[in-house]
Order: sequence, then C-alpha cells, then structure tokens
Amino acid sequence: MDWILDFYNYRVVAQYLPDFARGLGATAWISLVALAISLSVGTLVAIMRMSTRQLLWRPAAAYVQAIRSTPLLIQIYLIYFTVPALPLLGRRLDELEGGIIALGLNAGAYMSEIIRAGIESISRGQVEGAQSVGMTYLQRMRYVVMPQAIARVAPTLLGQTAVLIKDSSLVSFIGVFELFGAGLLVYNERLMPNEGYLTVATCYLAIYAFMLWVTGIAQRRLGGTATA
Amino acid sequence: MLEVIVSTMPFLLEGLWVTFEISMITIFFGSLIGVLVGMLRTLNYAVINVPLGAYIHALRGTPFLIHLYFVYFMLPATGISWLQLEAFPAAVIALSLYTSTYVAEIVRGAIQAVPRGQGEAARSTGMTALQSMWYVVLPQALKLMIPPMGGVYVIIIKGTSIVSVIGIAELVRAGEHATQRHPRELMLIYGMTALMYFAYCYPVLRLARWAETKYGGVRLPS
Repeated sequence: MDWILDFYNYRVVAQYLPDFARGLGATAWISLVALAISLSVGTLVAIMRMSTRQLLWRPAAAYVQAIRSTPLLIQIYLIYFTVPALPLLGRRLDELEGGIIALGLNAGAYMSEIIRAGIESISRGQVEGAQSVGMTYLQRMRYVVMPQAIARVAPTLLGQTAVLIKDSSLVSFIGVFELFGAGLLVYNERLMPNEGYLTVATCYLAIYAFMLWVTGIAQRRLGGTATA
Repeated sequence: MLEVIVSTMPFLLEGLWVTFEISMITIFFGSLIGVLVGMLRTLNYAVINVPLGAYIHALRGTPFLIHLYFVYFMLPATGISWLQLEAFPAAVIALSLYTSTYVAEIVRGAIQAVPRGQGEAARSTGMTALQSMWYVVLPQALKLMIPPMGGVYVIIIKGTSIVSVIGIAELVRAGEHATQRHPRELMLIYGMTALMYFAYCYPVLRLARWAETKYGGVRLPS
C-alpha cells in the first residue's frame, strides 16, 4: 500500500477535507451568483442587440465584442483593481464581489449570444399571433417569445454554465478562496501537488459530470418537443 | 499619462510578442494532436473511441489552470528526469493539450457533416479507405473546419493570459510588472493590455465570421 501513499496520500486529503468542502461551497456560491448576473445581463443585452435603434444595439454589440476579444483574467483585474469606490456601497469592491461581477459580466456576453439565437429562432408567426390578440411588446416577450426561446436554448445555456464554473477558478488569482484555492492551500502548506490538484480536478470533473447529466435531461425534455 | 504610456509600451509590446509566439506554437501542436484525435474518433472503434472520449471529457471537465499545474507541478513530482519541464515548454504543452480537445471535436463534426455517400462513392471507384479520406472527404470537411478554427485561435490567445501564473513574461505578466513601477496607473496599464488583446483577437473573430458566411461551418462546441 506504500506506493499509493507515496503517490497520493489520502490521509493528508482527509485532514484537509473541511477546506476542500469550504472551497467547493464557495465555487458553487460564486458560480450561482455569477450565473444569475450573466442571465440577467445576457437577456437584456440580447434584447438590446436585436433593436433597430442604433443607441441600443451599438453599445450591446460593442459590449459583446469587447468581452469576447479579451481574456477573463484581464477583465477580473480591470474590475477588481480599477473600479473606484462606489457611491451606493461607500467603499471599493472586495475580492469576492469584484470576482463575481467580472465572471457574471464575462459570461453575460456569451449568454446574450445564445439567448439571441434562441429569440431569433422563434417564428415570426408567433409574434404576429401575439400582436393580433392585442399583447404589448413586454407581454409578447414575457408570455410568448421568451418561454419558447429559453426552452430551445436551455441545453446550450447549461453548457455555458459549465464553462462558467470552470472559469470561476480564475478568481483565485485575486485571492478569493474557492475550490482551486483549496488545492493551492494543500500545495503551499504541504508541498504536495498531487494531493492538492488531483483532488481539486476530481471535484471539477464531478461537477462537469453533473452538468452533462442535467444538460442531457434538458435536451430530452425541452429540445425535442418545443418546435414551432 | 502620456509619459507612462511611452515608458511602458516597449515592455507591453515585448509581452505581446511572447503571447504571439506561444499562441502560434500552440495552434500548430494543438491542431496536430486535435486532427489526429478527431480523425481517430470518426473510425468508431470502441477500443480507440472510449479512451479518446475520456481524454476529451477529462480536459473539458477541468479548468485550464488545473492542466497547467498538472504539467508544471505534478509531472516533475514524479521524479522522472525528462518530465522536469521548464515554464515555457510546460505552458505550451498544457495549452496544446487543451486546444486539441476543441480541434478534435471540430474535425470529427466536420468529417461527419460530409454526406456518407461521398466516401462510399469514392470507395466504390476502387479507392482505399485512406485515399477516399484524403482525396474526397477531407477536402470537403476542411472548408467546414475553417470558421470554428478562428474561434479556437481566440480561445488560445485568451488562454495564454493564464500561463502568466507560472512566470512566463507574456502580456498579462508584462502588464503586472508595469503596474509595479506605476502603481497609480493601474487602469491605464490594464486598459492598454486589454486593448492589445482586443487588437489581436478581434480581427481573428471577424475573419472567422466572414469565413462562416462564406463557407458555413460546424459549430464550435462550448
């Protein structure tokens, strides 16, 4: 059994189990909040992008292109290091807030492209039908277009969420403690790379497997039936 | 402000050059591995397909940061001498492996998007499997691969920012150094860094969009 202990000392991992659990919880929490931000921003930007008014679609397009053409790391640095004290908050963003906002804004650009594809896939007749029964723009979006669009792109949105969870490891660069940070902790305190990083990798793989499973369910439940 | 721009610009450009170097080397090796894996996957032999599928999922399911630390910290811990990698080769290897998973999926998707009849017709004229692949299927598939490869190239460029963590003097690292000398100009320096990435990535994305309208293409797996 000695060779296993040489390669992967599970006793050390057991010792650090509370830290890994805390890291996993932090990753889940960060991803969840960032996901909420990205979906709200994504929906808004998608709708703006499809407007015919220049004042609306140009900023939306610029936002998407800017995010897609720069690395997430730089976006995190820019938001964490350079956003000044906010008037409502009365202080500067801390690591966690900066990291979450950067992640959310980053994912929001990708989500907006997916949501836009979903909205554009809804046939014209649906909108015209809603118009003919006297629905306002907001009502049409809320009751007719959005439910179908989201259902259609739900698997893709879930795939992007998996990417978001992986990307959340980058907030460890500005000192946020999350799953990857737990691996760093083991490496820094014990100089044991395998025990730290293999454990973290396994956790990420488990999350990924879970996301694949959920995506599969979404595909079966939503993807097949909602065709107009 | 102008003074800071003038004094930091040479360093940032040096960093941009390293970013360019890494991304060029990586797109080469990443595509090489990716094409190989993708073509092997289209053969549909379980013996090949299962391990390669596991390879792709393992790399897809973990952050790139983990791959980088795996190559740079865990391989040397094995004690085998030729696995003691310097930072630069470690970064290129990790990034190439990561890239290969995207390329493999694109290649497989493109080959499968060519109608089966094409390959069958080639075989019926007496071509071998390899000949039909090389002369008939691949040229048609290649057109479908071009647009998503632009997206992969941008993923690589953005991925190079992460290798700054193992001490490679690429663009982000150069920016960090510059901020240490001008700690009051964080926004300016990181803004310049971001602009340089933008100047590098945006044309590639536009080119990919143009190629997509021209050739169509398989979708880049997210």
